[in-house]
Parts: sequence; structure tokens; C-alpha cells
Amino acid sequence: MDFFSIGLGLACLSFVLGLAWRVHGRPGSRLPRPSAGHGRVNRGLAAGLADIVLLRRTLRGGKLRWAGHTLLLLGFLPLLVLHAMDGIVTRPLFSGYEPTLEPWQSARNILGLAALAGLGLLAWHRGRRLPSLSRFQDWALLGLLASILLTGFLLEAAKMSSPADFERMVADYFPEADSEEFIALQAHWARENGVRFERFLPTAQEILEQGRELHEDRCAGCHAATSTAFASRALADALPAGIVLPRTVPPIFWHLHVGLSFLALALLPWGKFLHPLASPANLLARGGRRDSGFPASALGRNLALEACTRCGQCSLHCSVSPSRRVLGNADILPMDKLADLRSWLDRSLDGAPLADLVEGSHVCTECLRCTQVCPAGIDLQDLWMSSKAALSEEGRAGVDGEIRKRSAGEWARELGSRRLGGVGSSGPGLADRAESFWGCVQCTTCTGVCPVVAVSTDPQRDLDLTPQQIMNYLRMGLKAQTLGARMVWSCTTCYKCQEHCPQGVPVADILYELRQLGAGTLRHKGKP
Amino acid sequence: MNTYDVMVIGSGFAGMAASLFAAKRGLSVAQAGGTGGIDFSTGFIDLMAVHPVAGQRVWEDPYAALAALRRDLPLHPYAHVTDDEIAAALGEFAAFLGDNGLCYTGRPGRNTLTLTSAGTVKPTYLLPCSAWGGVEALEAKAPTLLVDFHGLKGISARQIAEVRADWPELRTARVRFPGMGGELYPEHMAWSMADQARRIELAEAVRPLLGDARFVGFPAIFGMTDTMAVVRHMEELLGRRVFEIPTLPPSIAGPRLRAAFDRGLPVLGVRTYTQKLVSAAEVSDGLFHFTAGSGSTAVRIAARGAVLASGRFFGKGLKADRHAVREAVFDLPVSQPGKREDWHRAEFFDPRGHGINQAGLETDAALRPLGADGRPFHPRLHAAGAILAHQDWMRMKCGAGLAIATACKAVRDLNQNL
Repeated sequence: MDFFSIGLGLACLSFVLGLAWRVHGRPGSRLPRPSAGHGRVNRGLAAGLADIVLLRRTLRGGKLRWAGHTLLLLGFLPLLVLHAMDGIVTRPLFSGYEPTLEPWQSARNILGLAALAGLGLLAWHRGRRLPSLSRFQDWALLGLLASILLTGFLLEAAKMSSPADFERMVADYFPEADSEEFIALQAHWARENGVRFERFLPTAQEILEQGRELHEDRCAGCHAATSTAFASRALADALPAGIVLPRTVPPIFWHLHVGLSFLALALLPWGKFLHPLASPANLLARGGRRDSGFPASALGRNLALEACTRCGQCSLHCSVSPSRRVLGNADILPMDKLADLRSWLDRSLDGAPLADLVEGSHVCTECLRCTQVCPAGIDLQDLWMSSKAALSEEGRAGVDGEIRKRSAGEWARELGSRRLGGVGSSGPGLADRAESFWGCVQCTTCTGVCPVVAVSTDPQRDLDLTPQQIMNYLRMGLKAQTLGARMVWSCTTCYKCQEHCPQGVPVADILYELRQLGAGTLRHKGKP
Repeated sequence: MNTYDVMVIGSGFAGMAASLFAAKRGLSVAQAGGTGGIDFSTGFIDLMAVHPVAGQRVWEDPYAALAALRRDLPLHPYAHVTDDEIAAALGEFAAFLGDNGLCYTGRPGRNTLTLTSAGTVKPTYLLPCSAWGGVEALEAKAPTLLVDFHGLKGISARQIAEVRADWPELRTARVRFPGMGGELYPEHMAWSMADQARRIELAEAVRPLLGDARFVGFPAIFGMTDTMAVVRHMEELLGRRVFEIPTLPPSIAGPRLRAAFDRGLPVLGVRTYTQKLVSAAEVSDGLFHFTAGSGSTAVRIAARGAVLASGRFFGKGLKADRHAVREAVFDLPVSQPGKREDWHRAEFFDPRGHGINQAGLETDAALRPLGADGRPFHPRLHAAGAILAHQDWMRMKCGAGLAIATACKAVRDLNQNL
């Protein structure tokens, strides 16, 4: 067993086992069953394929990421199929294939450079737009792919300048060469193909001519000029004159190049490394849809959970990101919340991280933005809605749940002794400013238009206070009495009250502010 | 940025009417305003009923009252419009409301006394068809059942019956409104009445109380968009004539009016900017440039002419500080009592009214507000409605009629100058 077989075997084993764990490893789902979907639409397949091939959803998120991704795919995929798997793909398909012939040699260089350029754009984008959202695995994936490509170029450059490889080839394919012929061939290869030899070589025209003829006769059948591998040749030529590579260098680069490739294969099922497989599968399953509410099946939901590319688009577009900045909880933003949701589903999340997930889950307003911008087409909305329900079912209903465990009156007694700000105080809130309520004439318009009051059977029983009553309490400085009122916690922030107020009282803004204050107070309950 | 023929500033009766008349005359119209007055309307369209206010004289013939008014108070805005213009404007306005599902009725050339939620009667000119049964019942003193609801504030059937001692066959009952409890709000009740099942439940609750009543009166909660269909269905279910009494403002009558305009004006091509007060105006010879709304949602609107129908204090057309009253958009001179002490009389219910309730803009005969030099501020700026000086629409019972008539006049004169 050699390095290659053992490495390939281990990598394949890791890939197969990891994939199996990832697909079947999730214990019985904690999410409620998906609602029965509507009939699937047939145009879905074409739309899904277009999303995959053209990266249409990525393009919506920005041209730079799209260009980087497209370059990477256009460069890396052909290298993977035609170069890495040439023994089972290229050689059977193309008679006379040799990796050192044209067009393969120049193609490899073009593809490798394209892939590297793509990686460069992606890294630049990540460093510029997503520095705080990026984790080790994000940089690791970029670094691993770049290392594979770079060691490939280095390997090719080392091989073309290495005297050892030249001697091995001559021994294999021109064993009958006499010393004069050997020197002539050396002279030709040193001059034309950039091989570095230790010994001084003749430059006489007839010897070079002899070398060229021998080359045509013996080598050219399998070797195009190394200058066609333009990038590697440039690397080789960049080696300072007079330096000859030790014989150990090409094998080192080969082991690095092959070993890193095996590492990538082994890591493929882990973390975001799976996205090259999972994201296209999810895009296909989504069939071009950008809306929510079509969980095809529990399997489709599992696929969605795995498809995240950690591109950060959802978190960049999250409409509650101001809450993230204020509260400092990473799980308020979709990308990190999804990772913790996965851990929770795998039953490996508790303690403070679970509390973060619960809070993030309840800060979310289900505005659908993340679902619409996700380049992997993940139905995040469905995941948020179902996980919020599942968490509440387990008694983790967040601040909303805690508040509802006691009545508004009990909260008023509990919070009455706290400093909550007050009317006329220098507090920063709208509810603290007397002028917020100057215009209020208690006309009940805000309550009259409120859809939450409308659906309650008895406003006082279901909501404790109506919007205009809350405004009245606040202008009297009775803030603690309003914080536990279920009206505050049931407000949908539809802004009808504020828009209909004939006197310009910012009713909805104040209700939202009260909820923030209540959430903050509850969050620090027990802490000094 | 579009340039409109007319910018209508305000979305009360006068603003809505100005937009309607301008659009009907083929002008391109933009309209901006908050929900000031119209949400607080009783739904009645008064024309002219009380003059002089100090004597509390109620006129049955509004046009006779107008003649007396023009003779006694030549500065009153009604002095600038003729009876024919008023009649035509009211007709066009009521027809528009009818086309948009809000039926109005009345007696040509005569005021009608209608029942209020306090039990008093009030003279008005046009009233919602859903209230007309109440007029017939009141005039005939017919056997009538007045129903009110547990939890609905601002209307008490018993109080109405006590005030109307002259109506012995008026009985009252208080029932639970189906499907709701606690404190009730008219808009929610009105929306829930769109459900036929809710009407059937309500009829079931009222039927045992009917007795010999020929009419049944309810607080105004019979639907938001198709009130007469609800009234007819209730009549069918109860086998009696059914009518509504408007509740205290904000009642459902105002939102019904606003909804009719929200439906009808955009169809006529009016660009409506709702919930946006005009916050700034720049004037040049050629164009007006307005800013409507504030902050990130503010819009800029250019227009060749404008109708200022921004109302008085509640509509935010006039702003009062501790010393003086100012006009909010152009800072036009405001006719007002000379000093603060003269704003109000000693008694709130003084029948002569208060000086501040006559404050507003002076205009020329074409309803163009006057600038500081006593000449029209701008050749294509007209004013309409409550912002006009020398009228006390509340006490004279002329609010909607004055708004509609002056809006019509303002648009007609503006159209000649465009």
C-alpha cells in the first residue's frame, strides 16, 4: 500500500461515513411536521437548474461574489474532472491523452489561474464585507482550495525544472542513449524547456540541433513545450539562475498537492465544506421558489438545514440586525442562528448558546428577507417558524413566553422599584419625553384601527390595556404598569395606529420601545 | 418629479371635495394630508342651519338662512358663492359618494332634524341613508326600539329616551354584541358585521325584544363598505325598519367617508399622498414646490396651482402658540382676535361663540388668500373650507356644505387661471 492508495482510501472512507452521518445522523426531528404542501410546479426543474448553473441567486446578492464564484467553478470543476480524475475520465475519452501534451497543459494553467482569481475575489469580498461574520471554516475552505491550486502550480514548476525527473524519464523512455546523445538532449531541454542541470552544458549549434532531433524522435510524442504551461513555466523561470532544485523537492510538492486534495475530499461532508453538493441539491428541490411555505418533506427540510454556504447574505440583509448590534447576540442574525439551530436539532446545544438561540428565534420578525436573498435557496422562513414553535413547545418561548407567565399587575409590582425612565426624564426613549404625548386627545383612533384589538374577544381580558390606554398611562408616568401589558407583547408593529393618529403620536414606535425595554429588563433579571 | 395642475393641501371635506372637482374637470391632481377632520366627522352634511348663532335661530330652509347670512355677515365665505353653485357642488359630491357605496339622502331645499347619540336633535341637510329611518321614526313618533351594547361607550339608548320625553313609544334595550366582550370599538364591530353570521346572531339577540316596535335603531356599526346592504339584511332578519345613530367621534361615519374617497379618488386619476402633511412650500411665479411628509418618506411635489384646504386647528392648517395663530404651510396672514385674552369668552357654552372660532384666512372674491399687502398672495393659490375666516361652522351648522361649496368655487376659479 502506498501513500496514494492509503490516502485515497481514508479520504473516501471519511467522505462516505461523514455523508452518512450528515444525512441520517439527525435523531427524530424536533420540528413540527411540515404542513402538506401544494402541488409542485413543473417549471421547477428548469428554474432549479438555471439557479445552479447560472448562479442566478448569487448574482442577485452582488456581482463581485457572483464573478468570484463563477470563476472558481469554471476553473475548479474541469480540473477536478479532467485532471484529478484523468485516469478514469480523460484517458478513456481522449485517445492519446497525456497530461504533458497540448491542449491539456495550457488548459490546466488557464483553469488553475481562473480558479485562483475566483478564490481571490471571494476572499477579498469576505474580508471586506463579512469580516465579523466569518469563522475559521470560512477561511479554511478558501485556504484549502487555494493551497491545492498553488501546490499544483509549484509541483508542475518543480517537475519541469528538476534534473531528477529528466533523468528518470530518459532512463525509462531512452535507455539506450549514449553520453553524447544524453548531453545533446539535456542541452535542448535546458534551453527550450527550462530544466536546470548541475553541470555546464554545451551551446554549440550542432549539438543543440542534435538534441532537437532526439527530442522530436523520443520525447515530443508525449511532451509539448513546457512554455505552454505558461504559469508554471513562469514560476520555474523565476527561480534565480544557477539554483538547481534538490531531488527531494518535486516529491514534496506532489505529496502536498495530492495530500491536500485528499484532505478536501475527506472534509467534504463536514460543515460548510458540503455546500458544493448540498446547495445545488437544495436549489433543485426548491425549483426556483423564493417564497416560503413549501417544505416538500422532512427530507427537504434536512436538505435545507445542510445547504448553507455561510455566504452571509442573510445576515447582511437581516431586518433585525440593529437588535444584534444592541444585544450582541450572534444568533439574532440568520447565518449563526442556523448553525445553532442545527446543533439544537442534533441535541448538542444547551446552556448559554441555547438561550442565545431562543432569544434570536424570538427577536426574528419573520420578514422573509433572508429567505428571499439566500443564494442556496434555503427556505429559512419555514425553519424559523417551525423551530420557534418547537422551542415554545419545550417551554423555551423567550421573553414573550416569560412575560405571559404573569399578569400585567404582577409585572408592575415586580418592576415598579426599578429605574425604567419616566416622563420628563432625560431618558433616551420616546416614552420618556413629555412632548411625545402633547398631542394626545385620547380619541381612541389608535385602538379603533388596531387589528390586534380587533381580533381579541375582550380587549381588557386578552390584552390588559388598549393602545390609547397605554399612551394615557405613559403620560402619567406609569411606565411599569405598561411593560407587562399583553397589548405591548401582541403588537404586530403594523403601524396603523401611528399612521391614523390625528395628532402625530408615535404610538407604534412607543409600543416597540416598551417591548425592547421589557426584554432588556428581563434579560438582566437577576444580574446587578 | 411630476408637475401637477393642482396640489390639494388637506384631506378633510374641503380637500376631498377639491380633489374630486378638479379631477372631474380634467385637471391633474395631487393631494396630501393627514387624517385630521374627516375621521371625526359625524357623517352628516350640514349646509346652513343656525343664524344668528347668538339667537340660536334654526332655519328649515337653508337657502333662506344663506340669504340672511349674506346680508348680515358680508365677510362670511358663503358670500362668495351663489346658491346655484352650492346646490350643484352638493349634488356632484353626493353623487360621487353614492357611486362609491355611500348612500346619502335629504329633502331638496329643506333641512332635516336628525337624532344624535346624546338624544338631542340636530338640523342637517344631507344624511346617510342608513340614518333616514330614524328621521321617519322621530317625525312620526312611531313605536321604536333603540338598542345599545354592553361595552360600547359614547352612546346610551336610555339617555336618548330620557332626553326625548316627547316620544313616549321609544323603548330601549341593551344587548351583548355577538363575538366580542369588554370595551367595544365601532370600527371593529363594523368590520365584524361584514360577516352574515354575525348579523344573524345579533338579530337573534334583538328579536325577543321587538314587541310592537315598527323601527329599530342601533349605534352606527353596520359595516364599513356596504352599509345599506347590512341595513337591508338586518331589516329582513328583524322584519322591521332599521336605522343607525352615529356614535361619538371618532365614529364609523368618518372612516366610511374616507374609505369612499380612498376608493374613488385614485380611479379619477388623483395622486393621493395619505398620512402626509405638507410640511414646506416654495413659491415661484411659475410653480409651487411642496414637501409632503417628513423624514425618509418625504416626497416632493410640483404643481402649477394649489388649493389650501388644510383646516383649522385639528386639521393642522392653523397653529396656535401662546400669543398668536399662524398659517402652517405658507405662513399667510391670519385674521384673528387682536390679543390672546379675546380668543375665548368667559363661558365655554356662550351662545355667541368665541373669537378664536372665527380665525382664518382673508380672501378675495375668488377665494385667493390675501398676503401681508392685502393683495392675493399668489394668482393661483386658493383656499377652501374651515381655514377661511369669519365663519363658525360648528355653531352655524354649515361645516361640510361650506367646505364643499368653497372647494368647488376655488377649483373653478383656479381652472380659469391655469
